[in-house]
Amino acid sequence: MNNDCGCDKARAELEEYLRNEFCRTNAEDIRSHLETCEGCQSELHVGIVLTQTVQRACKEVAPEELRDQLLLTLRTLESR
Amino acid sequence: MMATAVLTAPPVVDLPVMSTPTPDPRALFEEQAIPFLDQLYGAALRMTRNPADAQDLVQETFVKAYAAFGQFEQGTNLKAWLYRILTNTFINTYRKKQRDPYQGSTSEMEEWQLGGAESATATSSRSAEAEAIDHLPDSDVKEALQSIPEDFRLAVYLADVEGFSYQEIADIMKTPVGTVMSRLHRGRRLLRGLLADYAKERGLAAAPSSTRSGK
Repeated sequence: MNNDCGCDKARAELEEYLRNEFCRTNAEDIRSHLETCEGCQSELHVGIVLTQTVQRACKEVAPEELRDQLLLTLRTLESR
Repeated sequence: MMATAVLTAPPVVDLPVMSTPTPDPRALFEEQAIPFLDQLYGAALRMTRNPADAQDLVQETFVKAYAAFGQFEQGTNLKAWLYRILTNTFINTYRKKQRDPYQGSTSEMEEWQLGGAESATATSSRSAEAEAIDHLPDSDVKEALQSIPEDFRLAVYLADVEGFSYQEIADIMKTPVGTVMSRLHRGRRLLRGLLADYAKERGLAAAPSSTRSGK
């Protein structure tokens, strides 16, 4: 039923696992490997933290003047 | 024809519509597309690496999107559609203007630079690494992102920040899914190595991985 896929396969596809993307290795098999392997767990953890860190760092708010300028431009386009 | 298409468009949110639903195309566009402004600006910043170009790029993207809005199929993924226009515009206009050592090409990064960030480090040092990454200031993370090759950077941004699926990224970047995967893997590996270096420089409990070992 659940076959531990081993470290190599788990490591190779941890990112796909993390993103719920298609894996060659069955996600269930990766999951059951993770349950018992601390090394791969910590590797997955680094991957999750990396994603969260990039997300956090890349939050931007467009400058007000860009928003205003944009709306103005759209309105000039419209009136033509 | 136009009016019918607008009228039969599925409502985006399940709120009672108070006024008569006769939005003109511009109003519809503003209502649907402008909310993505911050996100598109963030992506544009990561692409162009400077605020002035990012603003121009976003302007141009919205103007093009507005002009093509009639072709957008209501009910499909508007965000992905806008990102496709953004990425196209960037590649066709801005990438040409920008010259940097890693210009677009991912093959220039040698294997030594890609390093073995995930080499056989112990579990304890990996949790230290995670903690160090977590404590890095945003400026370091952005700087690290800026310094990885454009194709890698874009793939990482689209996946990690925007949460696009591999298939969506493939559509946006016009590359096969396999290429998306390898760009992502390599980009993340590079990023991780760089962040470990920054952590070390900042005296945060650092991981042994390093991509810049040139001493």
